Amino acid sequence: MPVERSSTAPTPVFDPTQPPDVVLELAGVQHSFGDFHVLHDLNLKVVRGQVAALVGPSGCGKSTLLRAILGTHPPNNGRVLVNGTEVTGPGRDRGMVYQRYSLYPFLTAEENVAFGPMLDRTTLPFRAFRPLKWRAQKKEILAEARELLVRLKLEASMQKYPHEMSGGMCQRVAIAQALIMKPEILLLDEPFGALDEATREEMQEMILDLYHDNIQVQQEGGVPPYTILIVTHELNEAIYVADRIIGLSQYWNWEESGQAKAGPHRCPGATFVYDAVAPVFHSDNEREMHLLNEQRAEIRETVFNESLVTIPAAGVTFWQQRYGGGASQ
Amino acid sequence: MIRSPIRYRTRVILGVVGVLVVALAYTWLSYRQHQINPTDQTIPTWQQLAAGVGKVLEVDEFSGDRWLVTDVKATFYRLFVGMASGVFLSVVLGLLMGCYSAMEALFHPTLSFLAKIPPTAMMAVFFVLVGINFEMYVCMIAFGVMPSLAQTVYLSARNDVPDELIHKSYTLGASQAEVIWNVIYKQTLPKVLDAARLQMGPAMVFLIAAEWMVGAEGFGYRIKIQQRLLDMRVVYVYLIVLGGAGFLLDTALIRLRRRLCPWYAE
Repeated sequence: MPVERSSTAPTPVFDPTQPPDVVLELAGVQHSFGDFHVLHDLNLKVVRGQVAALVGPSGCGKSTLLRAILGTHPPNNGRVLVNGTEVTGPGRDRGMVYQRYSLYPFLTAEENVAFGPMLDRTTLPFRAFRPLKWRAQKKEILAEARELLVRLKLEASMQKYPHEMSGGMCQRVAIAQALIMKPEILLLDEPFGALDEATREEMQEMILDLYHDNIQVQQEGGVPPYTILIVTHELNEAIYVADRIIGLSQYWNWEESGQAKAGPHRCPGATFVYDAVAPVFHSDNEREMHLLNEQRAEIRETVFNESLVTIPAAGVTFWQQRYGGGASQ
Repeated sequence: MIRSPIRYRTRVILGVVGVLVVALAYTWLSYRQHQINPTDQTIPTWQQLAAGVGKVLEVDEFSGDRWLVTDVKATFYRLFVGMASGVFLSVVLGLLMGCYSAMEALFHPTLSFLAKIPPTAMMAVFFVLVGINFEMYVCMIAFGVMPSLAQTVYLSARNDVPDELIHKSYTLGASQAEVIWNVIYKQTLPKVLDAARLQMGPAMVFLIAAEWMVGAEGFGYRIKIQQRLLDMRVVYVYLIVLGGAGFLLDTALIRLRRRLCPWYAE
């Protein structure tokens, strides 16, 4: 059973004395493509201010789950709730950053970031028929976008089109584009998968900085602004940037637990086999490799090991660790 | 070496050499023809061509107009209105087909069928249905370019905009109309402009053919009359004007595309 690790950051964003402010909830989510069962009975609660990483073997349904949360591919059974409201399609309460196609190629960096507020605060007829008022409002929105880009150290690239920027810059702009909308939850689908090692590390540090903004706001009595669910196949990355690791896997004891509803010897779909706290790092500190290695070995054993028949309850310990079993997953 | 680049200066020199070779070949042909028949007008000399320029620019004693001015106005006004209507129709249809499967099912088979019929073969239908007035030219150009242009827009709307960008637009608060106008249309615009530019040639073919058959003014009409009179001085001048205008329109549309879509990699 995983144990809570020491962390290099002083205060985790998760306050175990307060009832959880649940942003994302999965209730009995199941999904299949015809006879092929992908997701089985997923139940999960992600709390405001968390950076949760979703890991799992290739083909286990991570992206399917993310699409279900996004609302583009609703699950066959079960419900996805964001802030208590059931998801029926993509909406502005969920931000999304993909590995590729993250930016509009016909807009500059600042216009890409300003695109969301523009759509959100004005209408098509307003922009078409009230050009003077629209021009004034556009100036304000662009100024807001520039401010965010400066915070993300992109001041030199504001006027550049995506094809003129590096992959790392594009992803940074894509994150700014999502963050400016202040979504309830930000979904990142393998966002740094196509980046080189150095850029990838920079981006990871950017996520850590967002997490530490959460901590700071919370310490000042505010509501943490960023809740992030990141899908990644890089275990080191997951452990480094997230404060919670969720493992989705098709390698679990479905035959023994009487869950072989799909037929004999057919997996009913991947389920959560691991859910535990992760050490919290700070972008200014050295990476403590021993903390990464310890949890990585544990996740490999529990989530990725084809020969090991995992009992899901053994690895799903997050709420036990935080609340002593006071709240279910 | 295949596709190895050349210097800009070499490119310009080779371009000038190409033009000079054609001009010299024409001069030689004209010279040979005039050795045989000194009054020949089928391959006019450069002096005769200059006289042709004077003729198309002088005031006509019967109509009181200058031929070239009248014909340029008539032909290019028809071309402009016809192309504008055709492009507008194509963009609307192409976007609807690229965005909605029901629209695709409704229009795509018909457009694919219409695209196979040469518009010049449809002239008889337009003469009967619309008459031989200005509207006929506009309809012929619009419906002539529309099937293939609409299919280009449709394919671009369907294939050039990844689903991810559309989904992302919804997360940014876009409505369906905003996704079509602010995302799909914006991304297909360079392809629309390029396709419209390439359709300019076929549109001119339909227009000149229709003017040739039923026009009372315009390039097709004037070339037909002067060819019957064997006055090739005027015909060649008109051809040169057509070539020049086509070149200018082409360049203008490329520049427009570069201005409107600076992000588009050629």
